[in-house]
Amino acid sequence: MAESKKLRDSDRFNLMLALVGNLIDGALYDVPELAKHFRVPESEIKEAIKNLGFIEINYHSPYGIDFDGLEEGDVAVHFGDKMAIQEVPRLSARQASALAAGLVYLKSIPGIADVEEIEKLQEIIASGFAKTKTPEVIINPIGVDLDIRILRQAINKSLAIKCDYQDNKNEVTIGRIIEPLRIDVHSEFIYLRGWCQTKQALRSFRIDRMRNTEILDTVKISDKAKQAELDDELYVPAENDIQVVLEVQPGAYGLMYDLKPIAEPVPVNKTSRRFTIKVGDVRNLGRLVTRYGGLAKVIAPEEARKAVRDFALAALNPEGSDSPKDAE
Amino acid sequence: MAETPAGKYKVSKPERLFALTCALLYSKVGLSKHQILSSIPGYMAEYKPNGSNASLERKFERDKDTLRHNGINVEAVIPPYEDENNQATVYVIRKEEFTWPKDIKLTARQLALLTLASDAWAGGSLSTAANKGIVKLRSMGVVGEDSDISGVAPRIIEHEPNFREINNAISDRRVVQFDYRNPNTGVIETRTLQPWLLRQSEGMWLVLGFDVKNDQPRNFMLRRIVSRVSVGSNSAPFDAPDPSEVKKATDELEAFADKQIAKLKVKPNSEAWFKYQVDTKQKKNDGVIAIRYYDKFVMAEQIREYPGQVEVLEPKELADLVAEGYKQVVDDHG
Repeated sequence: MAESKKLRDSDRFNLMLALVGNLIDGALYDVPELAKHFRVPESEIKEAIKNLGFIEINYHSPYGIDFDGLEEGDVAVHFGDKMAIQEVPRLSARQASALAAGLVYLKSIPGIADVEEIEKLQEIIASGFAKTKTPEVIINPIGVDLDIRILRQAINKSLAIKCDYQDNKNEVTIGRIIEPLRIDVHSEFIYLRGWCQTKQALRSFRIDRMRNTEILDTVKISDKAKQAELDDELYVPAENDIQVVLEVQPGAYGLMYDLKPIAEPVPVNKTSRRFTIKVGDVRNLGRLVTRYGGLAKVIAPEEARKAVRDFALAALNPEGSDSPKDAE
Repeated sequence: MAETPAGKYKVSKPERLFALTCALLYSKVGLSKHQILSSIPGYMAEYKPNGSNASLERKFERDKDTLRHNGINVEAVIPPYEDENNQATVYVIRKEEFTWPKDIKLTARQLALLTLASDAWAGGSLSTAANKGIVKLRSMGVVGEDSDISGVAPRIIEHEPNFREINNAISDRRVVQFDYRNPNTGVIETRTLQPWLLRQSEGMWLVLGFDVKNDQPRNFMLRRIVSRVSVGSNSAPFDAPDPSEVKKATDELEAFADKQIAKLKVKPNSEAWFKYQVDTKQKKNDGVIAIRYYDKFVMAEQIREYPGQVEVLEPKELADLVAEGYKQVVDDHG
């Protein structure tokens, strides 16, 4: 609690600095428009403006605020002649480094922006920060030579695409029509989130499995697709999922974050953690757990342990059996 | 919480910080600690003209830290005519250090790209810092404009519990200490590091820095850190690394990876086939590709995701590592 209060104070102060750098002396703004611009709740704009209005140093108020107007949703700030900051503030080292790291990441994704454009921004961030410095975060390009430009074009023009798609059962559908909504870039794969006309549902498509992609100039993205709500998660658990207990060592902590435990993980010893997840089909655990080669294991139930064991056994003798399979 | 005299308005922390910033920015010669504590709202109500103000002084020290983390540097100055008399110290914020350079403007598209860069941290360790940075930068933009970048949601995946601590330590140039597990021997040792930079390769986060005990630059994989990272905040910040030294160390890591080449035979049209983009990468039409890697343990993990689809032709130690992992999983679940 104390932590989040501290954060809110510091965020509020940051917003106050940004507001006085943005507002023009005496001009009228409305609260929703400022909230949208600074991407904060409307209540935060109101509080920040009030805080500015309450400041008094040696019987002198740097900012004159119309408090009645504020209640109505209008913002007008009058800058006093003395001690009223109206400059745009610099970034802090941490703010600059977080943004610089984000830019490094964007640069690593093919097709988002021109490299020169991003490099120019990196320079700007470096010069807007108090001291020049070397980069603090490096992100190597995603190991995929894909161009997402054609998909972005389709999204921007609100047009459907057609492609050949190989699904995770290694079956190829020719000429699959997808109404593209968003491109989700994760560390290993890039996904197209879109409305599948065949399935009449939202689906995630791995871009590396798409071939012969083309924009369908005559097929607009339907209202049905636009109204479908995109979740941030690629996988949404279902009602009748099974609860599985897992134990991980540090090298496999990633599983805790990927699998969304239903409660806080519990320490087993100095380094191992135990947590419970819900899965639709225990066969899907085989691959997830086996990849860690011993750093992760299933504790219960028995059917889940067996699924992992079968998966690893099949992996040891690929000729002796069908290669291990995830659930359909 | 401080006592509030009845009926008197309680000054909030953001107001106190803002008032302090105004006062130190606009005072011509700076303000002494006494002037600050006795005249700035948020301090003055508790100020005792003839008593001890130790707790207020601590509050002021903490506020200076908060300001610094918000990019505002409070400088302590002894006026030259006071001849090193530190009783005469005054505090000041230099306008040129406070203000974003006037000649640097951002276009709407640039602001949109920076917003995307900030959003890439959504929910991640640096999202607060990135978001605060964007709020500040947006003060340069015209209210009402719209972004022309849509349809992309890049997310930096960083599952490392120590990521933020290390990143902050890099920004603040603080020495860090942590327990690190050597993947070859399994031995856990305490390491002391001047952290220089974080890098992501193949989805793994590494911290490069100067290993104090070994007296040379070293890379550490964050996922092999088995303790909390402790930050030496009491000692003085270490000197910024020489950029050429940082570059040399990163080049060395690349050169090392260049020498580590795995030769894989991939089953046509399998999942791994797409993952490794074999149709564009193979030299002959035999499904055999060469892949460079930084770390054999990480590479083995990746390969274990595609059993029956990938055969490791070279090196043998990688093929063994993959198989040992499978055996371990079988044993663990027997």
